[in-house]
Amino acid sequence: MNVMLFGPELYYLGAALVFFFLTLKRKPEPKADYQIAMALGLGGLLVTGLCLCQHGELFFKAYRVDLFSQIFKFALALGFFLVLTICHNLPQIAERDQAEFYLFLTTTTIGMMLLVSSVELLTIYVALELSSYSLYILVPLRRGDGIDVEAGIKYLLIGAVSSGVMLFGLSYLFGATGSTYLADILPKLPQLASSPIGLLGLLLALAGFFFKLSVFPFHFWAPDVYQGAANQVTTFIATASKAAAVALLLRLAILGAGYGYSFTKALVILSIISMTLGNLVAIIQRDFKRLLAYSSIAHAGYFLIGILTLKEAGYIAAIYYALAYLVMNFTVFMVINEVAKDGRDLKIQELAGLWRRSPLLSLSLIVGLFALAGVPPSIGFTGKLLLFTSAMSQGYFWLVLIGAVNGTISLYYYLRVIYCSYFTDDPNLGPITISTPIRFLNYALIAIVLGFGVFPDRIVELAKAAVKTVL
Amino acid sequence: MLISPLMGLMVLLLLKEEQKFLIRAVSLVAAGISLGLAIFVFVAYDKSLGGLQFVEKYEMVKTFGIAYHVGVEGLNAPMLLLTGIVIFTGVLTMWELETRTKEFFIWILALVTGVFGVFMSYDMFMFFLFYEIAVVPMYILILVWGSTRKEYAAMKLTLYLMAGSGFIIPGILMLYAASGLNTFNMLALHGVHFSPWVQKAAFLLLFLGFGVLAAVWPFHTWSPVGHVAAPTAVSMLHAGVLMKLGSFAVLRVAMYLCPEGFHYWAQLMALLATVGIVYGVFVGLAQTDLKYVIGYSSVSHMGIVCLGLATGTVDGLNGSVFQMFAHGIMTALFFSSVGYIYDRTHTRDIHELGGFSKIMPVASAFFITAALCGAGVPGMASFWAELLVFIATVKVFPINGLLAIAALVVGALFALRVVQTTFFNTPNPKFEHFEDVSPFLGLPRMMLIATLVFFGIFPQTMVGMIKTAVIPFLQGM
Repeated sequence: MNVMLFGPELYYLGAALVFFFLTLKRKPEPKADYQIAMALGLGGLLVTGLCLCQHGELFFKAYRVDLFSQIFKFALALGFFLVLTICHNLPQIAERDQAEFYLFLTTTTIGMMLLVSSVELLTIYVALELSSYSLYILVPLRRGDGIDVEAGIKYLLIGAVSSGVMLFGLSYLFGATGSTYLADILPKLPQLASSPIGLLGLLLALAGFFFKLSVFPFHFWAPDVYQGAANQVTTFIATASKAAAVALLLRLAILGAGYGYSFTKALVILSIISMTLGNLVAIIQRDFKRLLAYSSIAHAGYFLIGILTLKEAGYIAAIYYALAYLVMNFTVFMVINEVAKDGRDLKIQELAGLWRRSPLLSLSLIVGLFALAGVPPSIGFTGKLLLFTSAMSQGYFWLVLIGAVNGTISLYYYLRVIYCSYFTDDPNLGPITISTPIRFLNYALIAIVLGFGVFPDRIVELAKAAVKTVL
Repeated sequence: MLISPLMGLMVLLLLKEEQKFLIRAVSLVAAGISLGLAIFVFVAYDKSLGGLQFVEKYEMVKTFGIAYHVGVEGLNAPMLLLTGIVIFTGVLTMWELETRTKEFFIWILALVTGVFGVFMSYDMFMFFLFYEIAVVPMYILILVWGSTRKEYAAMKLTLYLMAGSGFIIPGILMLYAASGLNTFNMLALHGVHFSPWVQKAAFLLLFLGFGVLAAVWPFHTWSPVGHVAAPTAVSMLHAGVLMKLGSFAVLRVAMYLCPEGFHYWAQLMALLATVGIVYGVFVGLAQTDLKYVIGYSSVSHMGIVCLGLATGTVDGLNGSVFQMFAHGIMTALFFSSVGYIYDRTHTRDIHELGGFSKIMPVASAFFITAALCGAGVPGMASFWAELLVFIATVKVFPINGLLAIAALVVGALFALRVVQTTFFNTPNPKFEHFEDVSPFLGLPRMMLIATLVFFGIFPQTMVGMIKTAVIPFLQGM
């Protein structure tokens, strides 16, 4: 077995061990822990980058390493590292829990990395649960007033139910086909989809991923968890976790595309409801993280557009958008984290006078929000347009029209946030100082959001190559 | 030409808010270079050769057939010149701005980059990208530096325009998908013969979407409110240039790519345009706020542009493009003079200003010149433009044409009354201590007047230019 094939996973396993020993220390040393975490995060980025071009199969063909999986692993490593950069102060997490925080952040990353490479039902299930369980622990880790516990329980309950449903569906699939390998199951799709047991199995199995992606009707956890979890944890759930779910759905769609899915209509409906519901409910939110939670529900609808086209262009667009979403959503969360230094939940109104308190952060906020709303010249715009283009090529005219109108609706609530930060002022709030690394992080994020929005070719070509390796 | 505002923008990002003079100077230089290039392109364009010149093309996303493809032809050269003049004078007009100077000029340069991009692009993707870049900064510009009900106006304007985009995206993608060529290049798509159904549907989507920005009745309601709320230079750019983006896009994308759809919907276009002209004139002249007067007169003038487009004849299109240019310069002059008056007196009420020309003869003269131009007095650029449009309209849509002419005659009457009440009544003693326009601040206004008169006396320079593109354009339909 080539170690490089399993390199990123092994590396993060090692990192998890390091964190595990850190948790055993009698006296917590958050400063030292953070430095170790940063170093490990950076190293992880490097290792994943080095393993980008690996390809092969492992563990009795249950595990597949190709450009597609490696790109998403890189995205996960990037998400992990980015989240670490905003962990320099963790006011919401008790000092002696901070090493545990890093430990579980690492294990959930490993779970997601396993997930994007799995091509066998049980492996998928185990990987999904590994990442979910770590998150179940991370969410209520927040020091606070009970809101974290509520969020934790909601997340656990809905997560457990959707896992149960998914497992049930997987058992049906196994019963109908006699195999747990995707490679065996997918060719039988036409007959599967025509038999009630197969169709039920497929739809139930998808439930687990829809839960991660917070697609309607599995979205109920998102607002409470976003609000209740510590800001850093929310950031991770909103960025890396989404990318992993998209990756697995995409793999299923790509592998199955040749055999035809008959349930794209159901996906169209879910996509439309997710977009519309998320955007409409977001309008009335006052808490910034809740607003972003509803915006993520809406974005889940956009991801589905790319997936349900079942064509190469759609997959490319979905990969592009998943990567873009990671960066632009992180940009916004980074601002939240810097403004709410004490780790409180940020009300939209508390952004008042941000343009005066920190011009750079307000610029990042505008860039990030405009990208989420799909305003050019940002990656969000380009990604959305690519998604719509691919859907239109398949004749989903109404879907595109509704998606485009949804873009307008979403702009309304993003503009309200921008209105607060740019126009209202609160003389009681003093300027925000940001450290030099965060300053550079800001520049880098803005450059990425704008740069790849105008010149998307590199990413698109990469995504295209990735899709080719899966086919 | 794209680069210079962008460079200016970059430099501004590096400057500090305190260095106000430097900020202004950099903006002015950036705008000046754009203007210089626009004039160069306008003059150097080889009319005898025609077609697309100064082409630049880079592949951007091969998989989806997106390219950066810009060029200049008879249709957009006047528009580029217009943008150059308006931004240059706009920066000069805002010379006295003191609050958040740096951000203001950054956003305004971003907006201008978008405008130039739209006028030059021949790739639908880039076209739309620049279109949005031009539209979005308006929100912040109005919100922060505006006046009168700015929050309402900014939100209304942005949502209206974004709703327009909601129509444009499906329209564009529909053509992209239906062509099967996997390219966003308009010249290539022009060669495709789309099925009538696609053409009709796509044209309607594009016309409605871009029509919002062109303030086509009944989607105009954002425009007067937006004009009133925006700061002077933004009003100038907005009414002078941005609204032209809408009508230009109808011409360049909708009519160019869906000729059959155009013929199908031409009646509707003409009807909406005529209603817009009549409605704009009557509502506008019942207003007492000078900026509202101009805002509604813009609605009616943009109606003339659309009416010209709807005729689909050489004269009509010539007049239409010429009118875009003339109206752009004219409204810029309007807003720039009203802005000056408002900055001093803090009122725009017609009755309160009564007899203003005795206090500020020069500032008033600017406004009066613009008003005369708006009324279509011979010797001004818009006279020729309106003449061309009406000649074409009377031939194609006689009833609409006559109605529009009648409305304009009545409008001219009213316009003279507004001028009379505002500038030639008994002066308001409150304002007597104000000084008149200094030569430096008068300079941008003088430039605008000079342009209006120049093209009023030598309309052939402009019409000849536009013709080189219009004739092949119509042959292609």
